[in-house]
Amino acid sequence: MNVEKRHFTCVTCPVGCEVDVELRGGNIVSIKGNRCEKIKEFVVQELKEPMRVLTTTVRIEGAKWAMLPVRSDKPIPKRLFLQAVGELANIDLKAPVHISDVIIKDIAGSGANIVATRTMERS
Amino acid sequence: MVRQAHHERDYILNLGMRMQADVTVIGSGPAGLVAAIEASRSGAKDVILLEREEELGGILKQCIHNGFGLEQFKKDYTGPEYAERLIDEIRKTEVRCFLNTMVTGVSANRTVTAVNSEDGVFQVEAKSVVLAMGCRERARGSINIPGTRPAGVLTAGTAQRLVNIEGFLPGKEVVILGSGDIGLIMARRLTLEGARVRGVYEIMNYPGGLKRNIVQCLNDFNIPLYLSHTVTEIQGRERVEGVVVSQVDEKMQPIQGSEKFLQCDTLLLSVGLIPENELSKGAGVELSRATNGPVTAETMETSVPGIFSCGNVSTVFDLVDYVAQTGMSAGRNAARFVAGDWKENGGSVEVLAGENVRVVFPQRYCFRDELTLYVRPAKPIEKPVTLSIAPIEMNIKRLYARPNEMIRLKVDRKKLEKVTEPIQVSIKER
Repeated sequence: MNVEKRHFTCVTCPVGCEVDVELRGGNIVSIKGNRCEKIKEFVVQELKEPMRVLTTTVRIEGAKWAMLPVRSDKPIPKRLFLQAVGELANIDLKAPVHISDVIIKDIAGSGANIVATRTMERS
Repeated sequence: MVRQAHHERDYILNLGMRMQADVTVIGSGPAGLVAAIEASRSGAKDVILLEREEELGGILKQCIHNGFGLEQFKKDYTGPEYAERLIDEIRKTEVRCFLNTMVTGVSANRTVTAVNSEDGVFQVEAKSVVLAMGCRERARGSINIPGTRPAGVLTAGTAQRLVNIEGFLPGKEVVILGSGDIGLIMARRLTLEGARVRGVYEIMNYPGGLKRNIVQCLNDFNIPLYLSHTVTEIQGRERVEGVVVSQVDEKMQPIQGSEKFLQCDTLLLSVGLIPENELSKGAGVELSRATNGPVTAETMETSVPGIFSCGNVSTVFDLVDYVAQTGMSAGRNAARFVAGDWKENGGSVEVLAGENVRVVFPQRYCFRDELTLYVRPAKPIEKPVTLSIAPIEMNIKRLYARPNEMIRLKVDRKKLEKVTEPIQVSIKER
């Protein structure tokens, strides 16, 4: 079977290792250029289904600011990002909100929850 | 202890609008928060933190993306989460925080003049001052783009505040000039909010921001990055109607005939950050031409005794972890200074940028702490390199050197004990 060569930049940490990966029949034969061992998990996941943490904002009523920053509490498939922000566009949220409060459960069917990333008191 | 300024009013009036403090910290972004917490934990009794905005946290509040604190807390926080963690920590200390309070002057004898709408103008006489004002963005005026002056030209950080805090989308068809991290982050952010980002145009032949941001902010969303390109004209009367982009040659001059018109309603600028040192200048602090920040020792002390600086007011760092580390050093050493643990020691030596090094921070070594060096390469070298520190013959091997990735190196105190000549950092191909 032919060896396929792929290039990845790891986004696990700010170092951003750039690696050359050799694949045979979809299986990893070799990885070169990484500085730590987290690379294998990253490459395996990138090949299967790229996952990212979603960070965005939702509109909030009765707070000092118009927008509340939120995140997914774990990485979700990046192909679901636009569907996820679509679901978040239509929610009805009122202050106060505490950091880590769940805003929406199981966003876009990903199994991840959207949580507040700051506390916002009623103003 | 976070209190609104008006709670302090009587206290200030009793002192005739003069207060005394051990340590005064200016700015409550990551550097200032960490410095104030650390000064308090290191034994400084009266620590005052002055913040011009109505909340603590500085720019972290609008940096809603993740990637903060991986080193410091071993967690992948967003900016607001990172800020809230530090704010929770400062609440457990005796640090007194003044919000909505603008510092208008710092003198060399460490008197800080500030103003807010409750107390008017007041002064804090401190034994030690920590400068943590951060940096500001370069704007259109700094780069002289020809053309009309329509609405719709704004810095990436302004767009970030509008979208993430105030809830306004600044435009629907966006071109981004400059590939700094904030520009890359905003390319993704605006795309998620429904705008079309036509591309990121970078005048240099390498990107300005971190690689991981190229991947997760541009590549993930199929946003093209054009290196060696710049905007040569802005068009539109009331509102931006489009921009002309051109390729540039190796001298960064636009190449005639390469012009291309892009229709857009918004131009975002992500063309660099400048340390905010108006207050430092007033205090007579010596500034470095390489960093635009104070000339700083490994203790974060500036050229003026008892005035320390940390974070992006010193030099623009890539990562909040680095900012926090300098804040910790500044806070701890400000407390040491107050405690009188600051006798004259063996003088100091300069730390110099050698071959292929654009910036080295700090710029002096005073033989008090270990030396943590932050090194920004002058140009990309896509080959194995050796970082050399003279005269101690410390050599570190790296696979490459790039200006968009600051290199941090720790040098043990013992290795530097006998050094009498300047310390010089250089990068050479292997």
